[in-house]
Amino acid sequence: MQRLDRRDFLAGGAALGAGALLDPSLAWAQGSGTLRVAMTAADIPVPNGQTDQGAEGMRFVGYTLFDSLVLWDLSSATQPSRLTPGLATSWNVDPANPARWIFKLREGVRFHDGSPFDAGVAVWNFDKLLKEDAPQFDRRQAAQGRSRIPAVKSYRAIDPMTLEIVTAAPDALLPYGVAWIVMSSRARWEEAGRTWEGFVARPSGTGPWRFDRMVPRERLELVRNPGYWNKARVPKAERLILVPMPEATTRVAALRSGTTDWIEAPPPDALDSLRKAGMQIVTNVYPHNWPWHFSRVEGSPWNDLRVRRAANLAIDREGMKSLLGGMMIPAKGMVPTTSQWFGKPSFDVRYDPAAAAKLLGEAGYSRAKPLTVKAIISPSGSGQMQPLPMNEMIQQNLAQIGIRVEFEVMEWNVLLASWRAGAKDPSSRGAHSTNSSYFSQDPFTALIRHLDSSLFPPKGTNWGYYADAEMDRLFGAIRTAFDPMAQETAVQRAHEKIVNDALFLFVAHDVNPRALAPRVKGFVQAQNWFQDLAPVTVG
Amino acid sequence: MLAYAIKRTLFTLPIMLGVSLVCFALVHLAPGDPLVSVLPPDASQAIKEQMMALYGFDRPYHEQFARWLARVAQGDLGTSIRTGRPVSLEVGKAVGNTLMIATLATLIGFVLGTLFGFVAGYFRDSWLDKAASAAAVFGVSVPHYWLGMILVIIFAVQLGWLPPTGAGPGGSEAWVWDWVHVQHLILPAVTMSVIPMGIIARTVRALVAEILSQEFVAGLRAKGLSEFGVFRHVVKNAAPTALAVMGIQLGYLLGGSILIETVFSWPGSGLLLNDAIFQRDLPLLQGTILVLALFFVVLNLAVDVMQTTLDPRIQRA
Amino acid sequence: MRAATAEAFVRSPGYWVTVLRRFARDPVAVGAAMVVLGLILMAVFAPWLAPQDPLQGMTLKRLRPPGTDGHPLGTDELGRDMLSRLIHGARISLFMGIVPVFTALVAGAAIGIVAGYAGGWTNTVLMRTMDVFFAFPSVLLAVALAGALGPGILNSIIALTLVFVPPIARVAESVTTGVRSRDYVEAAKASGAGALTIIRKHVLGNVLGPIFVYAMSLIAVCMILASGLSFLGLGVKPPMPDWGLMLNTLRTAIYTQPLLCALPGVMIFITSISFNIMTDGLRSAMDIKA
Repeated sequence: MQRLDRRDFLAGGAALGAGALLDPSLAWAQGSGTLRVAMTAADIPVPNGQTDQGAEGMRFVGYTLFDSLVLWDLSSATQPSRLTPGLATSWNVDPANPARWIFKLREGVRFHDGSPFDAGVAVWNFDKLLKEDAPQFDRRQAAQGRSRIPAVKSYRAIDPMTLEIVTAAPDALLPYGVAWIVMSSRARWEEAGRTWEGFVARPSGTGPWRFDRMVPRERLELVRNPGYWNKARVPKAERLILVPMPEATTRVAALRSGTTDWIEAPPPDALDSLRKAGMQIVTNVYPHNWPWHFSRVEGSPWNDLRVRRAANLAIDREGMKSLLGGMMIPAKGMVPTTSQWFGKPSFDVRYDPAAAAKLLGEAGYSRAKPLTVKAIISPSGSGQMQPLPMNEMIQQNLAQIGIRVEFEVMEWNVLLASWRAGAKDPSSRGAHSTNSSYFSQDPFTALIRHLDSSLFPPKGTNWGYYADAEMDRLFGAIRTAFDPMAQETAVQRAHEKIVNDALFLFVAHDVNPRALAPRVKGFVQAQNWFQDLAPVTVG
Repeated sequence: MLAYAIKRTLFTLPIMLGVSLVCFALVHLAPGDPLVSVLPPDASQAIKEQMMALYGFDRPYHEQFARWLARVAQGDLGTSIRTGRPVSLEVGKAVGNTLMIATLATLIGFVLGTLFGFVAGYFRDSWLDKAASAAAVFGVSVPHYWLGMILVIIFAVQLGWLPPTGAGPGGSEAWVWDWVHVQHLILPAVTMSVIPMGIIARTVRALVAEILSQEFVAGLRAKGLSEFGVFRHVVKNAAPTALAVMGIQLGYLLGGSILIETVFSWPGSGLLLNDAIFQRDLPLLQGTILVLALFFVVLNLAVDVMQTTLDPRIQRA
Repeated sequence: MRAATAEAFVRSPGYWVTVLRRFARDPVAVGAAMVVLGLILMAVFAPWLAPQDPLQGMTLKRLRPPGTDGHPLGTDELGRDMLSRLIHGARISLFMGIVPVFTALVAGAAIGIVAGYAGGWTNTVLMRTMDVFFAFPSVLLAVALAGALGPGILNSIIALTLVFVPPIARVAESVTTGVRSRDYVEAAKASGAGALTIIRKHVLGNVLGPIFVYAMSLIAVCMILASGLSFLGLGVKPPMPDWGLMLNTLRTAIYTQPLLCALPGVMIFITSISFNIMTDGLRSAMDIKA
């Protein structure tokens, strides 16, 4: 628990002799401090591997205890994060067969229980998600993991350090999906009576943190893994304690009373008082998107480009930002302007009510003769920011130019069910738009899944039944662009079309606020849903 | 007496069956998606249908109920959809934690309630009665979750005397009866105790007033019985009902702990219920409701039998 | 209490006058009744009393403390006037306290009277069903029902009604069973009067009094329960100005504006304590020793 701070260390170093100073690893040979994190989840994400509780579960349990073949580079706060080698050192598509991928695996990686990681274990892990008659098949992990790798058709170990994955159709975006799939220890599963219930009592992965103890529903304690394969990411803190605290006020109280060091998503209203109490508020742009997703089924008023553009020009995003205490980034597209995928769209999404009213007038509507639209919204929900005040503000803004909004308020899970079922389904109640915040960390989740004409429900989640041959062609180009730079350009082209055609009501990106106690040092908030806790120290 | 106890027990069996049917129906007939806790929100409808079949939610209701009931009869409440942990284990632990605050709250409520009730009943219509009755009315009228929030602001945030939430530094599994842990009990238990305090005070006041107004008490006094003797007589006659009310209150607190535990993040059955509702974890939800309801049924039974034993005046058919 | 009130309730013309006179002698109860009356008037005339629209707010003027210019009680998290929302809140909160109890009164009385009057199998089936619902602690049943039905005013009313039907049905049944065996009912039966006539003439009058008083005492309970459901997110949906829901949505600002956040709770407390004191006074006024 005791940590030498820098001054103490220098003083002690002087006494011990210069030798100690020369070895920087000594500074954290013993991890320093315990980091206690309050999560927004209602329960601890299950440490079985393919964990639950969404991105937060992956952030704190998936990528702490475990690793995937492909990881996110989370070291920079100023650059958009990109994929980086994880348990695989490289991956390439077979030049002769664009549906066949070869993953070269990392040598010498061991699970926390000491068993080695190899291609056999990787195949075993894919089987736990995809092969229903495999003894290690786990419904819960399957439910979590399957939707991440829909393209995977088959996989096998070519040799102990080489894994082959074959996709149903060429899919250059496969590594993004593979980045979700983490590797659990087969040896531990065998040892724990060949059950996942036994495994979660003592989970074992290859990640930078090792399992120490867990009190279900209350806390998960991890300790640093000094033997982590990536020396640069060996945690500096000795212990990481994860506590579920779904109530925002409870988290604030816990931080202020000193029973936790780090809280996720402090409520905007508490930020000022937290700052005054000396807490650090960290934020950063990340691939989160809060739009209105338009229905494009027949009869939807959003089928008219002029109406879509008018609505986009009518939203006072800066006003909304001040409503949220500065905790948002005005959206100008599906991804933030700093994203590598934003491109150079010609339609500038800005606040210009006069231009908006003019466009709407051309479409035949005005304040005197308003257009009525029906919009699904939720009162709360994961990633939904402050949906009620934000939507009420949109309602007021749109009313200014002559669009009357009727809300269909749905509880968050009901909204999700209707989102999955599609705009034509009765559960969507004939609404013209829905308002679910989107994870948009890769080209598929950011763009393709919403707009690909082959992904209508129930097969996919193109809620609005948007279909456009040119868009499908642009998506095809992304899927077959195996060179990373060519792929970025292809994604930019698709995104430019989305913005120019105003296919969504672009509203906001969240900034993912966290509040940290003053003694927490060294955290770099990456532009990502996931974060690296390794460099964090607690004084 | 034994015959009465057996008869009452047999009588509760159909009630228990009915309770389990209501639990199942409540949980299953409600609209909503039972896999919401394990499916990522962006999973497609096709994947959802695959998983529904894997979990058996595509079976007819009567079949699901029969299976569930057969397992419940053997003490198996199934496993949580989200965590895969046995529901009986989860509920057992949570009920244990809630019992800690609920028992403490009932005790505080009983001590204060009987005190206020006695004082009020004894000195009827005096200012003492007014004050004690005011405390009692406060207890039954205050929205206790709001009181809990106020207490957190005062004692945890402003004064920093007591921890605001949780069950101690190591979680409930590392619970030991020392100050570090016990201080976590204080705010939730005190908040919770205002309800039984109010109800017991009102009951005791009415009982005491009724006993004192009986003619033979006046007779006893006339015969020269000391005030202490009268007091003993009152205690003896009021105790069975007061104890019965206390027992029932424990059941109400246990079943109604959801608000307090939400405010204090106390890892008990109420918080579990809250999670189960919002995660739509059906096995966990019906298991939690069932255990809490059955606990209440059994508690009622026990109190009823105990009261008959203690109070010979009550004649039961 | 049940039997005592049933006995005490005698349909004599001077009865209510006596009750009122006794009630008027209790200044605390009268005070509470005035507060209740005030709250009801506030609810009825809310649109005229409230200085501003409770649903429209200036988002830039959010979370202002009580005493702000133009907003005597401050503004909420959307910049809506607190005073106006609290005044309008009386509507929904009283509605949510009273409607379920009265729906339950009607349903419970019907079930209890039918069970008590018919006896036999009908009684067994109806009352054992009631016993099943009665076997749940009230908060648990309300939460479970509201959780199953989902949030919303109508769903909350259904949930709360179901919570209060069994106890009311029990009281109604026991009174009806008592009345059924009375001589005058037997006589009416013998003279060939229909069941409905007997119930209307002889049973209703005796049953409604006791269960009405009992139901009055449930209103405060129901209101607190309803506000608790809203507080958990299982009751009234936003943007309705319900006191319990206001406590929920203002909770995130509890560290910055504690006084503001406490206000809806104060309103719930005042209402429920006034109802309780008034009912207590009424009950002791009715407790006439013949």
